[in-house]
Amino acid sequence: MRRTVLAAVLVGLVVVASLGPWPPPSAPAQGVDVYINVTGGGSKKLNIAIPNFTVVSGADAAGHAKLLAAVAGNDLTVSGFFSVVAGVEPVPANNAEELQRRWSEFAAAGAHAAVHGLLAVRGERLEAEMRLYDLTSPGYRLIASKKFDAAAPQARRLAHRIADEIVLQFTGEPGIADTKIAYVGGRPGAKEIIVADYDGAGAVPATRNGSINLMPVWSPDARSIAFTSFMNGYPDLFRMFPFEPQRPVQTLAAFAGINSSPAWSPDGRFLALTLSMHGNPEIYVLTVATGKLERLTRHASIDTEPVWSPTGRQIAFVSDRAGQPRIHVMDADGTNVRQLTSSGFHTQPRWSPKGNIIVYTQRQGTHDLWAIDVSGANPRPLTAGPGDNQGASWAPDGRHLAFQSNRSGRWQLYVMLLDGSSLTQIPLGVSDATSPTWSPRLP
Amino acid sequence: MLIRAGHLMVMSLLLGLIVTGCAKRPATTSAASAPAPSAPPATSPATPAPVAPAPSAPAPAPSTPAPASAPAPRPAPKEFMAVAALKDVYFDFDKYDIRPADAKTLDANATWLKTNADNLVLIEGHCDERGTNEYNLALGERRAKATMNYLVSQGVQANRITIISYGEERPVCNEKNESCWSKNRRGHFLVKPR
Repeated sequence: MRRTVLAAVLVGLVVVASLGPWPPPSAPAQGVDVYINVTGGGSKKLNIAIPNFTVVSGADAAGHAKLLAAVAGNDLTVSGFFSVVAGVEPVPANNAEELQRRWSEFAAAGAHAAVHGLLAVRGERLEAEMRLYDLTSPGYRLIASKKFDAAAPQARRLAHRIADEIVLQFTGEPGIADTKIAYVGGRPGAKEIIVADYDGAGAVPATRNGSINLMPVWSPDARSIAFTSFMNGYPDLFRMFPFEPQRPVQTLAAFAGINSSPAWSPDGRFLALTLSMHGNPEIYVLTVATGKLERLTRHASIDTEPVWSPTGRQIAFVSDRAGQPRIHVMDADGTNVRQLTSSGFHTQPRWSPKGNIIVYTQRQGTHDLWAIDVSGANPRPLTAGPGDNQGASWAPDGRHLAFQSNRSGRWQLYVMLLDGSSLTQIPLGVSDATSPTWSPRLP
Repeated sequence: MLIRAGHLMVMSLLLGLIVTGCAKRPATTSAASAPAPSAPPATSPATPAPVAPAPSAPAPAPSTPAPASAPAPRPAPKEFMAVAALKDVYFDFDKYDIRPADAKTLDANATWLKTNADNLVLIEGHCDERGTNEYNLALGERRAKATMNYLVSQGVQANRITIISYGEERPVCNEKNESCWSKNRRGHFLVKPR
């Protein structure tokens, strides 16, 4: 792939307006295509304007036109690719002159792109159109447009899908706004699993059994969650279907001892888990459709917390066979066990969706997130306090991590990019939130 | 990895954006006049209202037979009660071996259990809040198991004993200091008549 890095040429520019927070623009470089480096967080962002949507039909008494811009704007900010201005007055529809005038203002203020959002309210349905413009091109070329629709109560999801489409346009991979995060809410002794949008909105209890519910993990189809619960007295493993409230909870494993640490294989057919029915915590693989169990580890130490590689060929897990808990890797049939991390107290391995690194939790007084290459090279910290930072869960893009931290004095959930940038707390409105699990992109 | 974007032209101040000289792929979406995708969003997950499919609808979900369940009968933990004669034992951080002072406690507990042979016993293994939930669930079980093994070595019948790990989920002390943590790293005893 041929690449050129353009040097900054800012000499002689005149700042015309200040509609945005962006640095002043330079002369457009024509005839080139944009690539965005999708692995890094980085400080170089694309400046994008999302005015409030323009109501083209129906009455928007609920204020969806503003909501769509605000929610999608926040999504683009969280994506880490954009510097966003949202919430400014809408751009009239069917008025090319006014469109050009507004875009020229944004371009003069430093915007590289703008979204013209159109909204039709038809009874209980919302129909939205996203038109994406290149403000660096002569005449502000239309890059792409797409229509979306949803029931009115799903307006936030509509905005997330628009944002994910915009990210797709600029990076070649959809965003991660149309996803859910499940987590554990409550204090020791009374913990329930809750499901919310990835940005914390719309939190709904997914368990209400008054027991202790732990370790939620989404299935790869984003339809079900495996979890450990004491609802029947002992730590057993269950599966629930949070979007099908009438569907009963399914028991996955209820053997003597602990039944915990569920991990779905990438194809959803298998579940790696920890069972101690033979007297010691060992890792097994359950064939979900048949209930067939295969034991993978046979060691007198604690073996727990299996996670699959994205190819399904390997499983990382925690074992204290080296004296302290460390991250180990084995083939999915239990062979070729190797120790990945050394000299430390390491738990909670989380294999990157990209496959190349494993994030884990290191205890050294307090807990912090670390990452290591799958080769075993380059262990490095992702967080360095404050407080404890643990329980990571990857977003499906392999760029974002959700995790729990008590830096505020209470356990709360946070999201950051892999390089630690774009750190934000997920507003959940509960006093204790732990064990986030990020869903795949919703179907 | 660099992934191609749409044909947006870059501004030169965007140092971090890598650009290239030729277009290799057209924009992926349709023009403004394209018909709207007609498929409504999938089942609305955010809505708490029940969205159960109509009874006549084919089940959309994957087949989910309830597979592995335990043949072993397990007495319900809630049927067990604490008894003053059975004292807790405690553990060092990330350890599950029985310390000498706690062995004396277990000797006394074993004596009581042998005297009161009509009682079943439930041993709970607990951890402090440090560490992580998953690992602590395993560690708590190790503590309960080590405690059970000691009682068996002192002549208590193994078939009277059930163990359960609560990990770090049931602390008796909620402050963040070693004094409190050391109280939480415990083996606890409950009994019920046979």
